[in-house]
Amino acid sequence: MPDRPLVRICYVEDDEDIQKIVRMALERLGKMTLEVVTDPMLAIDAIVAFKPDLVMLDWMMPGMDGPTLFRKMKENPATRDLPVVFITAKASSVEMNELRALGAAGAISKPFSPRDLPEQLRSIWSALP
Amino acid sequence: MIPSSALSETSNIASTAEADVSGRESAKADPARILAERVNQLFAQLPLAVCAILVLSAVTTFEMYQPRLQELVLFWWIVVAVVSAAHIGLFIAYRQSSNSELTPQAWHRRMGIAALAGGTTWGFAAAVFFPAHTEEQQVFLAFMLAGVMAGGVPIYAASWRVYALHAAGVVVPFTYVLAAFGKTSFTALAVLVPFFYAANVLVAYRVNHVFSEGYRLRHAYGHLTGDYTSLNQRLEEQIAELMDAHREVDASGRKLALFAERAPIAVFEMDRNATVLEMNPVAENIFGYPAIELTGRNLLRTLIPADDPTMGSDWWAEFIRKGEPVTGLRVQCLRRDGLEISCEFSLTPLVNDVGDLLSVIAQGRDVTQQLEAERLKKEFTSTLSHELRTPLTSIIGSLQLVNSGVLGDPGKDLTELTVIAERNAERLLDLINDLLDIEKIESGKIDLHPEVLSLDALVREAMKLNRAYAERFQVRYEMPPELPSATVNVDRKRLFQVVTNLLSNAAKFSPEGGVVNLTMEDRGDSVYVGISDRGPGIPENFRHRIFSRFAQADSATTRQKGGTGLGLSISRRLVELMGGKIGFADREGGGTTFWFEIPKHST
Repeated sequence: MPDRPLVRICYVEDDEDIQKIVRMALERLGKMTLEVVTDPMLAIDAIVAFKPDLVMLDWMMPGMDGPTLFRKMKENPATRDLPVVFITAKASSVEMNELRALGAAGAISKPFSPRDLPEQLRSIWSALP
Repeated sequence: MIPSSALSETSNIASTAEADVSGRESAKADPARILAERVNQLFAQLPLAVCAILVLSAVTTFEMYQPRLQELVLFWWIVVAVVSAAHIGLFIAYRQSSNSELTPQAWHRRMGIAALAGGTTWGFAAAVFFPAHTEEQQVFLAFMLAGVMAGGVPIYAASWRVYALHAAGVVVPFTYVLAAFGKTSFTALAVLVPFFYAANVLVAYRVNHVFSEGYRLRHAYGHLTGDYTSLNQRLEEQIAELMDAHREVDASGRKLALFAERAPIAVFEMDRNATVLEMNPVAENIFGYPAIELTGRNLLRTLIPADDPTMGSDWWAEFIRKGEPVTGLRVQCLRRDGLEISCEFSLTPLVNDVGDLLSVIAQGRDVTQQLEAERLKKEFTSTLSHELRTPLTSIIGSLQLVNSGVLGDPGKDLTELTVIAERNAERLLDLINDLLDIEKIESGKIDLHPEVLSLDALVREAMKLNRAYAERFQVRYEMPPELPSATVNVDRKRLFQVVTNLLSNAAKFSPEGGVVNLTMEDRGDSVYVGISDRGPGIPENFRHRIFSRFAQADSATTRQKGGTGLGLSISRRLVELMGGKIGFADREGGGTTFWFEIPKHST
């Protein structure tokens, strides 16, 4: 369990409606700081610049899907150790198991409850080694 | 002269008879049966012989009668009468005896004794009357004796040995008397009489031989006729069987041909090199080749030019080598018009009873449309799953945020409407999720990913995550501070779904301010989890179908509290798939306990 509270979160998501909802949920309800990235191609740079505690990735995005971005993060020393949580409407349990094996911290299925979202993220955070 | 033991020896009679006959017919002539027939013949002649003897003896008695020899002559005639009576007695005994009582040999022997006795009475006559009578009477007697001896030949023709005994009985005393008389002419006769005897016996022997041969032939012919009749009968039976088999084969052949012709599947018959021998009209339709064009061509090279490894040339060689039927082979085939179609083939090698491959029957069906339908269904499912969830995420998320009040108080009327909107959006989502689950479970496409995990931890987590849901119904979850620790091998997500389903049901059906209790018990090989509500209980008429699909006791509940009626049905399938069981029971003091049991993980 990390010794500091979960505060800074970077969220890569192409759907602007969901971006807004997540922003409200995490900032207003969860009192967290959120950086939203719309274009997955720019995500690595944004993550490196923002220095989040945790990264949330959408699964299906134009240009680059979540798992590919996740693998790219694993290749980059600056993002390699960041905990990653997938927010997805797709994940089959086979694919989730694969991603867990690669080191994903968790998955939250869409539709999620914005009311419960901060709590869900905090429980994943507290379960981290 | 002839030992009586010789009479019991039937085998040498038979073998004499057989000696002249060659081949298998003689083997068929049963010596015992031939003897039986001969004995029968001997006895058949006996009454005639007795009659003749009585007449002859009466005449002789009359001729020999002299007052000085009165007693002797009468005594002789009485002896003849007694012997004749014995003969008749023997005849009656023979007629009344059944076959099993005495063997033909025994009767043969008796007949021999009877014949000897009969002969001896005449020998006795010769011995006592010859010396004491006139020459005229002596001539008469000699003629009589010769007649008795010669007459014995036809009477005893069936057995020369019996005849020999009969004649010996006459000849031996007569010869003795002649030799002892002292007259030269009689002495010469004494020398001649044995020759006469021998000649008669020889004739009897020959006649007897002819008799035996006749019987033997009759037997052989009887056997042959019998054999021929049974052979004929067997042949007829076999022909009848063959005809039946032929009709059956014919019928099944017609049936098979009809199947092949009318079945909505393509049927090909091929040789071991995959060369088409025959094909049905459906095969013509599916692949666009007229039978006349494809017959004689290699089926694989013609229809599967890409040499698909599923059914290519290497595969074929292996298939022929194994000689076992194969089903469900899916390959892309090329029609004659160049259109590619997906086909599913079943191949059956036809093998005879010594294991030689006769031909291969291929049954194929065009599954292009079926595969397309499957693809569309899958696509539809994934669209439901992904595309419907994304907008729902925004709708539910927005409404939840509004209803949570973090954005400020929207006012009573507005809140009422947004709560309705949120509740119904969630119902829609539940329905989509449940339908997807049911579809997956029923099509057998649900993949469970079991992992070894701690059930108590999973239950605790489920309680925590469902707490917010229960609060909406103003219901509180409670569980003992200590849960028994239990390791199970289950799909985490799916078991979580089951616990969530039971917890949310319990919350939904609890009265406001009610408490839902979760208990967990170690049951040895399994772990029990029970979730008890204080709701109205399960109506009697609903109990039997509570785990069925779209089962809800009261449709009004659905409107008020949501739910698709699929949750328990899904839960049951999931628990069963994980090797457990699920059920419910009335809770003491009102309400219901839903429970499930999962087998413990054995290390």
